Amino acid sequence: MNPRIVEVRKDILRKNDELARALRQRFHAFGVFVVSLVSSPGAGKTALLERTLAETMKRWRVAALVGDLQTDNDARRLAATGVPVRQITTGTVCHLDAEMVSRALDEWELTSLDVLFVENVGNLVCPASYDLGEALRVVLMSVTEGEDKPLKYPTIFNSSDLAVITKTDLADAVGFDRDAARQAIDRVRPGLDVIEVSSRSGAGFDRWLERLQTERQNRSTGYLLAGP
Amino acid sequence: MHELSIALSLVELASDELARLGDVRLHAVHVRVGARSGVVSDALRFSFDVAANGTPVAGATLEIEEVADSPELQLRGLEVFDREPANRRST
Repeated sequence: MNPRIVEVRKDILRKNDELARALRQRFHAFGVFVVSLVSSPGAGKTALLERTLAETMKRWRVAALVGDLQTDNDARRLAATGVPVRQITTGTVCHLDAEMVSRALDEWELTSLDVLFVENVGNLVCPASYDLGEALRVVLMSVTEGEDKPLKYPTIFNSSDLAVITKTDLADAVGFDRDAARQAIDRVRPGLDVIEVSSRSGAGFDRWLERLQTERQNRSTGYLLAGP
Repeated sequence: MHELSIALSLVELASDELARLGDVRLHAVHVRVGARSGVVSDALRFSFDVAANGTPVAGATLEIEEVADSPELQLRGLEVFDREPANRRST
């Protein structure tokens, strides 16, 4: 007897995609602007967030979710800003997925939030496959990492909406080639906007914060336009 | 390496689909892996058996079709044998 083939044609990650879509609708309905941060470990996601939370909490009701395999070190660092922070420990899983985000939000009132930051697990590979329902995905790359990171990990740059080059205060010390880095980014994702910041000195933060404000505004105009 | 998570999602999806087919024996699971999906076929193959262990999908072969320049990651189909009812088995 011969086997028969039953056609399925369904995306393997459709469960995550469906959950992410539901999350996005929830964020949209509550007017919460969600920004996720992805990068390699040590690129400065937490440092960027520390300063960003301290600045944005003056203007908005902000909160943060942070993903790591182990420890709540990052959450404790961020909680020092006074902003509500929740740690997601993934155990051995190398990325956040929509379900983890959804579960972490269970006890939070979305009505009491304007902006939610989601710091993904430090990893330039796996997070690319998982939609978290965010409105803006930001990929970080530090000046100490080598200008060709985007060429080595194109998928994550491709799935991001904005690139941030961090630790610019160290650029000279490590001989960072700004043009080469920007060219590399442009090669894998033509037209992707790049912002350069130093979370230590605060250089570039004006532009970064302004960008967040514009993106959020664009979304809320979108919310109104899309409304009934 | 997130192929194990992908494999778990695949096994879950395949098990759901399999349950709908009634009394069949699963022979193979056919998937398409795009070159831009971020998934490595060998790693997926390696993870598949581990993920399938103890599920209705256990023992099935994983057939991977690689697609250039595509982000897709799709369960294309299930290759199954119909079980013949014992009382109507031809001799």
